[in-house]
Amino acid sequence: MATFSTPSKRSFLTLPFLFPPSCESVTLQARRHQCSYRRAKQRLRVRPDASFGASSTHSHEQIIHNPPSSAPPVHHTPTKFLPPDDIRRTLRGASVDHGNSAQLPSVFKTSAEKRYHLNPSDIEEIRKLRLSDPMSWSRWKLAKRFDCSPMFIAMVCEAAPQKKEIQKQVLEAVQSRWGAKRRMAREDRLLRKESWGRDE
Amino acid sequence: MKRLQLQRWSRSVLSPRARTGGRLQEHLYYSLRRQSTVSTALQAENEQLIEEKSLDPSTRLTKSSKYEYLLPSPPVGAARKSAKLAALHARLYLPSRLPLETLARSLVDASADPHPNFNNESLATLGHDLLSHYTSEHLICKYPRLPITVIFAAMYAYVGPKTLAAMAKEWGVEMAVVPGGEVDPGLLQFKRVLPGTDLDAEPVTGTGRPNEHRTSWRKSMTSRIIYDNEFGDPVKVSAGASAPATVPGSQNTQGVTAEQASATFVRAVMGAIYLHAGRPAAKRFFEQHFLSRHLNISDLFNFSQPARDLSRLCAREGFEPPVAKIISETGRKSRHPVFVVGIFSGQDKLGEGAGASLLEARSRAAVASLKGWYLYSPLNVRVPSSMEEEGAAPWKPVYVDLGEVIV
Amino acid sequence: MPVQGIRAVSTARNGVGAFILQCKRLDFHYCDWAGSSRGMVAFIKHALPSFAKANPQIEIRVSPRPRKHPLIKGHYINGREKAVCVRNFEPEQIFQKANLLKEASGEKLKRTKKPVTSLNESVRGIWSPYHGDIKTV
Repeated sequence: MATFSTPSKRSFLTLPFLFPPSCESVTLQARRHQCSYRRAKQRLRVRPDASFGASSTHSHEQIIHNPPSSAPPVHHTPTKFLPPDDIRRTLRGASVDHGNSAQLPSVFKTSAEKRYHLNPSDIEEIRKLRLSDPMSWSRWKLAKRFDCSPMFIAMVCEAAPQKKEIQKQVLEAVQSRWGAKRRMAREDRLLRKESWGRDE
Repeated sequence: MKRLQLQRWSRSVLSPRARTGGRLQEHLYYSLRRQSTVSTALQAENEQLIEEKSLDPSTRLTKSSKYEYLLPSPPVGAARKSAKLAALHARLYLPSRLPLETLARSLVDASADPHPNFNNESLATLGHDLLSHYTSEHLICKYPRLPITVIFAAMYAYVGPKTLAAMAKEWGVEMAVVPGGEVDPGLLQFKRVLPGTDLDAEPVTGTGRPNEHRTSWRKSMTSRIIYDNEFGDPVKVSAGASAPATVPGSQNTQGVTAEQASATFVRAVMGAIYLHAGRPAAKRFFEQHFLSRHLNISDLFNFSQPARDLSRLCAREGFEPPVAKIISETGRKSRHPVFVVGIFSGQDKLGEGAGASLLEARSRAAVASLKGWYLYSPLNVRVPSSMEEEGAAPWKPVYVDLGEVIV
Repeated sequence: MPVQGIRAVSTARNGVGAFILQCKRLDFHYCDWAGSSRGMVAFIKHALPSFAKANPQIEIRVSPRPRKHPLIKGHYINGREKAVCVRNFEPEQIFQKANLLKEASGEKLKRTKKPVTSLNESVRGIWSPYHGDIKTV
């Protein structure tokens, strides 16, 4: 019978290496005369982690799961991604701590919940408005009017060709004013962004 | 003192046309040369043929030293005399059932000797198929969820021409400057491309693809699976390839690169082992030389929109939609902030990543989650070819995945 | 295109699957006349056949080098050469030198600082301050 036990976060007072055995009694001057080998040896005399000791509650065999202080490796498949008949699903069942994922703050301010409140007639209207008057009905304005994201507007319809042409000219005009430094910085930023996907 | 061999020295000076003997004579010698990889019955027939022909006065030249200078590649008899060849045989721990003559034949590229009975083309074809088979079954059984583009890349990394050329170099195979009958058979013989030739100049034609002249058209992944080779590269259809190759003496004008010739040699060795020593020896050779090489599959992925792919994946598999949450952060208002973002589906963490901005950290976390999905590997993997061993346990079906995420 | 593959080349790990002896060729040079080659001539006459039989992976060449000291030269797969002058050596000493050249990798000699060199990534990963058992002070 093997059970997993994840060590709890240790408090500052249980970290023995911060307190050498004779720390309080020996003054700083007295320690100076100790030979460096003994000093180093004393510092290394660390009590083992609490999770390694034979605990009174678990008298039977157990596996000590002490996760390393590093990012999880990619070859470690998350339990959710394991197929239902994989044996690792049951093996890991005990050690998985759900923790406090619900309390963690979200990256984005807005809620990610989708509402699906627009019907086909609304989408028809979005397309009509954007084609009829592309200068006044921008993506942002349409998004505000129909209470959806500009991304959704882009997914639903495309800008008129003349509007695209104008936008391209505006962008070129802006970019033509960039100097060498800014241009290089922008290009570097794009290259860095591409490297995210390669995990570099 | 060594005897000076003026004739050998002058060979590089003499142009092919200046050599004695015309095309007809060369043709005659072809029929006299004996193959190394033939059945005994065929060999006996050949010997009879040679005995009959040797009565003919015009073939007396076989005895003379000029004979080997007329050949495009070393004669079969020279294989036993080559120290290089024997050393290569021993260095690779090749089975003793694989004769030196076949190893010598596998060192002769089709550009050096166009005659199919004396070059390594047929051995290389067999070896190439074996290598592709063993590698693909290993990849697909070990990582059943890999996307097809990554499988292409992994195949290229294991048995691609670049890797095979590197292997030939690591085996200590040396190359002949110019192929010929008097060259040591332990050297790799091929005709080199002329310096300054642009290899990528002309577009690939004759691939058998519909609309191949339309270069601007997008090539879909499905069409790449059907029409292209195991590395996702366009492959030429060999419809009439056999016809010109069988004509002896037809000079292959354009040579091959050293990389191509080395790759062909390594494939030919694999095919030769399969022919002479059998399937288990070939499998062992593959495992020892190819599969033992180091390759980190997780480095072969390049995602363009990982967050979108991950949400599509969760929708397909019926998981809760992924939500990015900040696990820890430091220095948000400083010049070098660090955010650690985890991607959660419901209560479960799928992956996490660290970055200098929230977007970067989220993107890296999504990449980590997708790699966690794609790099799933079942326990106790067995490949189908393991059933060919004697006394193999009954086959249990391997894990088959739905396929990659389609956006 | 959701995901692209990056083309790479797998790295060789000599000795993990198969082992390839790095010494490709040994050249033995001797002089018939000079006294410094006496041991070398005896080695070539008596010990070399058994040495060659024991090491079939190595191509062995014997050639005279008149009016010069005897020499053993090793050629390696990485393209480098190693030469050892064996003047006035006894056959046993020459055998040791030939063995030394056989076992060499051909690389320049360099100090190894770590007990293990590996291509595999660390099992416990690279330490990061944001993971693991976070100490609260």
